[in-house]
Amino acid sequence: MSARTVRLLAATVLAVGAGAGCAAIPADPEGTLERATGGILRVGMSEHSPWTELENGERAGVEVDLVEQFAEDIDAEIEWQDGGEEFLIGELEAGALDVVIGGLTEKSPWVDQAALTRPYVVVTSPSGSPEPHVMASRMGENALLVALERFLEDRETEVAELVDGEEP
Amino acid sequence: VTSRSAKRAAVLAERIELPPSKKRTMEHAVRLEWLTIAFLVTAVVAMYLALGSSQAMKAAWIEDLLSFLPPIAFLVTNRIRSKEPTHDHPYGFHRSVTVGYMVAATALLVMGTYLVAESALGLVAAEHIPIGLVTVFGQTFWAGWLMIAALAYTLVPPVLLGRAKLKPARDLHDKVLFADADMNKADWQTAAAGIVGVLGIGIGLWWLDAVAAIVIGGSIAYDGWKNLRTALGDLMDSRASVFDDRTTVHPAVCGVRDAVLAQRGVEAAQVRVREEGHVFHAEVFVVPSGEPFTVRDLDRLREVVRDVDWKLHHVAVVPVGELPIGNLPLP
Repeated sequence: MSARTVRLLAATVLAVGAGAGCAAIPADPEGTLERATGGILRVGMSEHSPWTELENGERAGVEVDLVEQFAEDIDAEIEWQDGGEEFLIGELEAGALDVVIGGLTEKSPWVDQAALTRPYVVVTSPSGSPEPHVMASRMGENALLVALERFLEDRETEVAELVDGEEP
Repeated sequence: VTSRSAKRAAVLAERIELPPSKKRTMEHAVRLEWLTIAFLVTAVVAMYLALGSSQAMKAAWIEDLLSFLPPIAFLVTNRIRSKEPTHDHPYGFHRSVTVGYMVAATALLVMGTYLVAESALGLVAAEHIPIGLVTVFGQTFWAGWLMIAALAYTLVPPVLLGRAKLKPARDLHDKVLFADADMNKADWQTAAAGIVGVLGIGIGLWWLDAVAAIVIGGSIAYDGWKNLRTALGDLMDSRASVFDDRTTVHPAVCGVRDAVLAQRGVEAAQVRVREEGHVFHAEVFVVPSGEPFTVRDLDRLREVVRDVDWKLHHVAVVPVGELPIGNLPLP
């Protein structure tokens, strides 16, 4: 690789960075967080008690509460979408959803289709192994991912007590 | 008996060791290569700890992993190359240097090509790379900054090491050392491209990461291709060339011919010189002029040829009635 190529790449980054007014890093390629802030956050939910529950049109569960709080923090309305995990992840990948919840864990097979947050709580699975829980957000929307992760980190203690788990 | 074995030892030493002045240079080169390995261990560990899903960062990390190969090839073959010839290996083990060189070059070519292909596929599939938060010593921040810090650590030391290795590479006429120095010198560009890729993700340009990874992979593959050609040329007994350019004939080739032709009793001569690792193997065919030509003359010619360059180790002087002989190219 020639030094010229590197200089060209570096110049591109600097130019674009300056052009963007060096807005917050990381930024969303598709501007999801910016759009959702003061607007609409599209959340997919697949039922998985006690994380997400749906009864007679009433939503409940640890992750439902968390996402509702997050939406409140960024002054967003939630547009819910129900379905199975695979369907929701497909919608997330296609950009029709911003966040997917449903008791996902770090071992989720969706790592190539969705950006998983850092674990926000670790519970013990029925088989006795540790189970770190995460949420899924749209791939590459790093401002949203970081905002969600920061939000979840602040609630680790609270959630650990609630579900009788441990902080990661 | 003692004097005979001492004489034998002296003959062997003369045959397989570097001249005393080069020996010190070799020790210096060995130290530099160990230093390189020590640095690479810290660099690879630092980058591994910071490694996220950035393609460019992964490419830079793999490049650092591959950077182990030339120093290891150098240090390993340094132990093998000067072993005494055996019945199974009558030409000795000098060529282990070229074999090590070829292995390192092949690894570079394969890995570089793989990285280009993988990143190109990612680019076509428009893979957006997620990078979230990381916590280090109680501080939580965007993991991209950690990756950039690790890459920045690998920015400067390789350049210094590469520069330091150039002089011994020239003195020893060592192609492996030179290729290593050359790669080290260019290593900062890999780190810089990695930083560009991660920053690209940071400012929302998802494709910049894949492009930077392709650039890095391309540079690795190019290094591999360049060195593989040289290594294969040496294994194919191509004409001895200078250490930093395979198309430039080594001055020893013409030097041998001129030195032989300048001797009395030589009417015509033809020379072929090939590389066996660090040392050269020369076959000199001479047509004696009318004067009486004895075994002593042959020994004298052999000494004359060996004095041309310290690299001329195996020298065979063959008296013939006529040139050219057999498979030799026309003069």
